[in-house]
Amino acid sequence: MDAEAARLLATALAFGLAAIGPGVGIGLVVSGALQAMGRNPEAQGSLTTTMFIGIVFAEALAIFGLVIAFLIGFGVL
Amino acid sequence: MEALGLNLPKLIYQIINFLMLMIILYALLYKRILAMLAERQQRIEQSLKDAEQVKLQLANAKRDYDAEIAKARQEAASIVAQAQERAKSQEVEILAQARRDADRVREEARVSTLQERDTLLREAKDQIAQLITLTASQVLGAELKASGHDTLIAESLSALDRRN
Amino acid sequence: MSSRNRIILIVVGAIAVGIIARLIFPMGSPVVTVRADDLPGLPNFTNSFMVLLVVDLILILLAFFATRNMQLVPRGLQNAMELVIESMFNFFCSINKKWTPAAFPVLATIFLMVILSNWAGMLPGFGSIGFCTHEEHSSQGALAINLKDPYLGLLPVQFPLAAEEGKSKYLGCEPGEHLLELFRAPTADLNLTLALALVAFVTVEYFGFRALGLGYLGKFFNFKGGPISIIVGLFEFISEIARIPAFMFRLFGNVFAGEVLLIVMIFLLPIALPLPFYLFEVFVGFMQAFIFSVLTIAFIGLATEHHGDDHSHAEGAHH
Repeated sequence: MDAEAARLLATALAFGLAAIGPGVGIGLVVSGALQAMGRNPEAQGSLTTTMFIGIVFAEALAIFGLVIAFLIGFGVL
Repeated sequence: MEALGLNLPKLIYQIINFLMLMIILYALLYKRILAMLAERQQRIEQSLKDAEQVKLQLANAKRDYDAEIAKARQEAASIVAQAQERAKSQEVEILAQARRDADRVREEARVSTLQERDTLLREAKDQIAQLITLTASQVLGAELKASGHDTLIAESLSALDRRN
Repeated sequence: MSSRNRIILIVVGAIAVGIIARLIFPMGSPVVTVRADDLPGLPNFTNSFMVLLVVDLILILLAFFATRNMQLVPRGLQNAMELVIESMFNFFCSINKKWTPAAFPVLATIFLMVILSNWAGMLPGFGSIGFCTHEEHSSQGALAINLKDPYLGLLPVQFPLAAEEGKSKYLGCEPGEHLLELFRAPTADLNLTLALALVAFVTVEYFGFRALGLGYLGKFFNFKGGPISIIVGLFEFISEIARIPAFMFRLFGNVFAGEVLLIVMIFLLPIALPLPFYLFEVFVGFMQAFIFSVLTIAFIGLATEHHGDDHSHAEGAHH
């Protein structure tokens, strides 16, 4: 395995692994929000906003993974 | 960082660009539109208040109008009642007058009838007396004495009276 | 013809047109660059920045013409801009009523600028019109996606426009040259997203200090409550700082990943395949602008509330 192949592999792995956790997390957030909306449809507006903020916090982890993937893939690290 | 394209001058340009855009948009867009929205809000509230006031005035006017109408109706009713009363009293008066007139006419009629009857009776008596005299003188063919004459007439007249 | 048949016909037609277009016109392996390149002869003036200036101009012209002749009963452009501004204002108010009026210029400018920048990146010509440059100019930061062209050699004859072996894959370029794109989405430039992240961060901290005074620092450096509160404060501080790269890379990552996605889809099958992704990117472009401004006002709400401060004070009094 030469250096370039290792770099590509690391790039893919960095983002792929970083996406697992946030994927599960966003699923849980949306599931909870949908259940809450189903039980209390009047609160839909504020729940949607809060849901997006929660999604964004989970998504931040995936974005850090993406950054690392970029840094590896473009030869910065 | 160079691989990611980050460098300080570009970053500073971007920040300056953002701040300039923000100031321009604030002056041109946000300030004016938010002021316009506030003004419109205020105006809507004002017109709601005005409408409320107009409604109140309208209700007042309606109440006044209703009161006027009620008063007028009452007046009309009283006028009608008065008129009816007056009419009734006049009717009674007219009836009484009529009755009086009728009585008077009847009385006059009766009186005149009686007088006429009396005159007729007197005339009839005179004529009868003449007739009796005439008849008796013809029947007897002779001149009776004045005294006997008169007795005969009186007897005939009393007989007539009794028959009557 | 039933609507189902029509849909099938349209899809098949789009696929056929895509394959024919791909056979006739050449397309090099897609190359993606993370950084926005300087335009030739203009140091520190990138293609992203040029598009950003156009976006600024559009916004300013819209603002100018919308408010040039303000009327109490709005019509046309004024009505549209009022709708946008008012719905934004009401939405931010629903998140944080107290600080929205003060922070509104920052929030609204972020939203308008980001949404127009994101959508600008999907216009035709972005990433496909440019200058031919030699490879060494931008070797770093550019990543060629080495896909095997599935259409290569399918036709026995070579169309005149198709790239020959060893020649440049871009129309009009010499061998060994590649494209320096003339237009690039402004938000696909880390400088812009970092600048916005810094502005958002400074705004949040400004409102924190404005609401709580120097007591705001007590959230991060709390020495009264023993070692645990010091560590909690440290974590608060780190997560506060980490918002900058999170803001920066969230926006950049979404826009950049969208561009890469579209390029790869166009490479595989033009017209039919990228169409649903285009729709998705329109949604993502809106969503990212929305998230950026909403997070800013939400963080302002977190920074200005007393709750944690009072709690630690009470705890300190107990000790």
